[in-house]
Amino acid sequence: MNTASRGLSRRDALKLAVMAGLAGVVTAYPERRTFAATQQTLDLAVERSRLTIDGATSRGIAIGGSIPAPTLRWREGQEVVVHVTNKLDEPTSIHWHGLLLLGVMDGAPGFNGYQPIMPGETYTYRFQLRQAGTYWYHSHSAGQEQEGMYGAIVIEPAERDPVRADRDYVVVLSDHTPERPDAVLRKLKLGSVSEGYYNRGKRTLFDFFQDVDRDGFDATVRNRLDWGDMLMEPTDLADVTGYSFLVNGKGPQDNWTALFNPGERVRLRIINASAMTIFDLRIPGLPMTVVAADGQNVVPVKVDEFRFGVGETYDVLVLPQEDKAFTLFAEPIDRTGFARATLAPREGMSGDVPARRPRTVLTMADMGMDHGSMAGMDHGSMAGMDHGSMKGMDHSAMMGMGTGSMPGMDHSAMPGMNHGAMAGMDQGMAKASDRALGWADAATPPGTKALSYADLKAFSKTRDLREPAQEIVVRLTGMMSRYIWTLNGAKFDQGTPIRVAYGDRIRIRFVNETMMAHPMHLHGMFVELENGQKDRLPRKHVVLVPPGQTTSVQLTADEPGEWPFHCHLLYHMASGMMTRFIVERRTASL
Amino acid sequence: MRMITMGLRQALLLAGALTLAVTATAAKAADPSHAQQFHEEPAIISTLLVDRLEHRLKDGENTLDWDIKGFIGGDSDKLWLNAKGSKPVESGAEKAEFQLLYSRLISEFWDAQVGVRHDVRPQPQTTYAVAGLQGLAPYFFDVNAQAFLSEDGALSARLEAEYDLLITQRLILQPVAEMNVSARRVRELDLGRGITDIELGLRLRYEVAREFAPYIGVNWERKLGETADITRRHGEDASAVSFVTGVRFWF
Amino acid sequence: MRSNTRSLTTASLLAGIALLSAPGFALAGAGEPGHGHAAAIGEPAKASAAKRVVQVELGDNYYKPESLSVKAGETVRFVLKNKGDFLHEFNIGTATMHAAHQKEMAMMVEHGMLTPTGINTSMSGMDHSKMGGMAEMKHDDPNSVLVGPGETKELTWKFTKETALEFACNMPGHYESGMVGKVAFTR
Repeated sequence: MNTASRGLSRRDALKLAVMAGLAGVVTAYPERRTFAATQQTLDLAVERSRLTIDGATSRGIAIGGSIPAPTLRWREGQEVVVHVTNKLDEPTSIHWHGLLLLGVMDGAPGFNGYQPIMPGETYTYRFQLRQAGTYWYHSHSAGQEQEGMYGAIVIEPAERDPVRADRDYVVVLSDHTPERPDAVLRKLKLGSVSEGYYNRGKRTLFDFFQDVDRDGFDATVRNRLDWGDMLMEPTDLADVTGYSFLVNGKGPQDNWTALFNPGERVRLRIINASAMTIFDLRIPGLPMTVVAADGQNVVPVKVDEFRFGVGETYDVLVLPQEDKAFTLFAEPIDRTGFARATLAPREGMSGDVPARRPRTVLTMADMGMDHGSMAGMDHGSMAGMDHGSMKGMDHSAMMGMGTGSMPGMDHSAMPGMNHGAMAGMDQGMAKASDRALGWADAATPPGTKALSYADLKAFSKTRDLREPAQEIVVRLTGMMSRYIWTLNGAKFDQGTPIRVAYGDRIRIRFVNETMMAHPMHLHGMFVELENGQKDRLPRKHVVLVPPGQTTSVQLTADEPGEWPFHCHLLYHMASGMMTRFIVERRTASL
Repeated sequence: MRMITMGLRQALLLAGALTLAVTATAAKAADPSHAQQFHEEPAIISTLLVDRLEHRLKDGENTLDWDIKGFIGGDSDKLWLNAKGSKPVESGAEKAEFQLLYSRLISEFWDAQVGVRHDVRPQPQTTYAVAGLQGLAPYFFDVNAQAFLSEDGALSARLEAEYDLLITQRLILQPVAEMNVSARRVRELDLGRGITDIELGLRLRYEVAREFAPYIGVNWERKLGETADITRRHGEDASAVSFVTGVRFWF
Repeated sequence: MRSNTRSLTTASLLAGIALLSAPGFALAGAGEPGHGHAAAIGEPAKASAAKRVVQVELGDNYYKPESLSVKAGETVRFVLKNKGDFLHEFNIGTATMHAAHQKEMAMMVEHGMLTPTGINTSMSGMDHSKMGGMAEMKHDDPNSVLVGPGETKELTWKFTKETALEFACNMPGHYESGMVGKVAFTR
């Protein structure tokens, strides 16, 4: 069954926002009833619920009666009042992901004086909207986010939107498991008993013979010994499997559909509300123009696909001209399934479901192994790469390279190539598309463009151009086999919190010492990604740090408080990958 | 003898204290202000793994063998309970061993363990102090090395290693090796000095689910040196080959 | 081989830029009545020929007004003021022409001749003698003007007959973001 929905045109949305006045406009799933709240406030109940995905029903937790939770459409500058009532038999919370607000309104229990909402209690959130764009909200308690407590926030700008669209849709991606989150975490933590519980893509004896056939016996054995020596699995891309991947709460068979008339300009506000899933997203046949990242406008950039970290949002525009159905297709990086939705001129249509991409195999480069130079990367992601072809590489191919997997490369040895484009070189190279090597390799076909962080350029200029007064190194660490994830080697509240002075310009260097990508999320403030865009560093609330790589961001510590700073992979956060980021006002005591 | 009993009692007391400590930590985790904040110290978890529960078909008497492990604890500190034994199908247990160990994380791949072992069979029942290392050696070998000091002061050791070779994602071939060493002759238990026995097994299991896998395999046991002589003097074979069928499961 | 193709592309792009950025040259080209589609979309005219002046604000990334209405045969002088931070284009053509032009513009940006905020002066400051050899580029009718941030430029256009026209900015991503408007013909 296709539950199609009517998008809100910008004008409609504006009209509704105006009608709503100070209160919110709620768009509810799955029928997306749209109504304008006439009262000053919004009431949202949190309660146990059930959801049916592709015909299978399982349990979940709903906010405001639906999974995903209702889309909150607000307007920049308005004051928002939300009463959240906990109808569960356990504490809950709602965190407004990406919103700039007072700490106690941020909704992370144990921070900024915010207490969890106990069963039967109601908490009133009240804050002024100081920004526009696409954001989301979710539980910050236990594994409730995984169970369905997530929804979209759309804030119309007070001034003219630099983007004009005929239709405006929210596309919430998520991962759903019938397992209880605490059961998932337990299995991850059982270590030697359940080892690799969710990895059904480990390398087998058959893979060994296949690799011997392709790479030769010596190389294959050397490769196995390298991984064996480190006690790591090169197929370990995602921790949890068994997920259904949803678009607006709908499974691939349910096929959530958005309507358009050919020639219309359609804005998709895409949110990765997954607990654990990094996606590669594309709409075959329809290039996407990325106009905002993490709710913040960027200089438009046209891409064919993008890699989508947990917690991130991208606003894209598509201009379908033909009278046909297009498939929005999002594959998790471990390729264990897909999320699918349809853009169509009429209900009941469906486009082709594209061929599945191969699952990548991690390389030594993803381990941060320093091989010194390209020549030395014999078993790294450069294997198979034709060095001769590098010289003739045209700019369009360069642009197609994503964030990457080549930390050990000596960039100085490659004059004329910019740093941003080099990272993830393998992605853009013409290569047998049945095989992907290295974390960054999304098996992007030659001639198509995948968004790279280096492409993101803030729409408005960086306001604070001071040199950072303080540099903080945050090592992303962990004991994978134990499922203990840490920052700077310490679990949450066992390490030293990060302290910065209010008003200072700060640089944070994320050094990923693990073989997994970590979407690092700071509450309370945007970070500005140092991606080479000088005075237009893109503002982000989640930065996906690839395995074995270093990524730097800057920020102006202008929001006093004690903010959560964590990996947005739910079970990484749950197992310790979190710290406190304290912005302190300078005291006169010295 | 009296002193030894004291030793045992102390060991049991120690184990009791450890259990209390773990329970206390669990209670702290159960405090609602902590437990529901997923990002706090994760709750105490526990599991029970029946690693081997098998029928051994061999020349002579068929046996039922078991190797069961379980733990309760957090990331760093755990309490392990191990049980291992063998029983002829037609009669009572020949071997039955229990271990209660406090286990502490010392590196990503290794736990140090101390505790007690009590063998109900063979008789006379014997209690040992245990110190060991359990973990994952490079190239994915699961290793368990334990040293035992019996109540009589006899020192012995055991080394176990196993490896999972994935033929497919579900079909797994597992070679296992075990070796026991004794520092001195223990007449009551028919053990000689030096390497007392080795055991090699090869099991092919099919994971119907991760939690449940039936298997078949072969097992070869061989008593060595003095121990083998003692065995032969009893008119028994020093070596035995058996075909095994069994299940591996966990909760 | 590849590099040859590229330098050729570069040369033609440079010529294109020069056409777009040098109003004088564009008007010189205007002397020749357009070929093919150019005739259908109308033709450039002298500023003095226009009876009507339309002020258009170019912003990031929008036009104000968002649409225009003209009469067939009317000559309009557009005064184009860029109030934004980015380089914008004012280009009169059909949707198909815009789509084709977007590819060229994307190429120019990729090759560094255009930046999001302006024309790369080191590349556009080329002398006219070099451009002489690019006579074949004249078929790019001067239906387009590039306006840098803070600049004001003009384009005078005669809408010869009623046809489906859009005025658009073909800087990468701007058209897609909605920096395009319809030209409606009234009687």
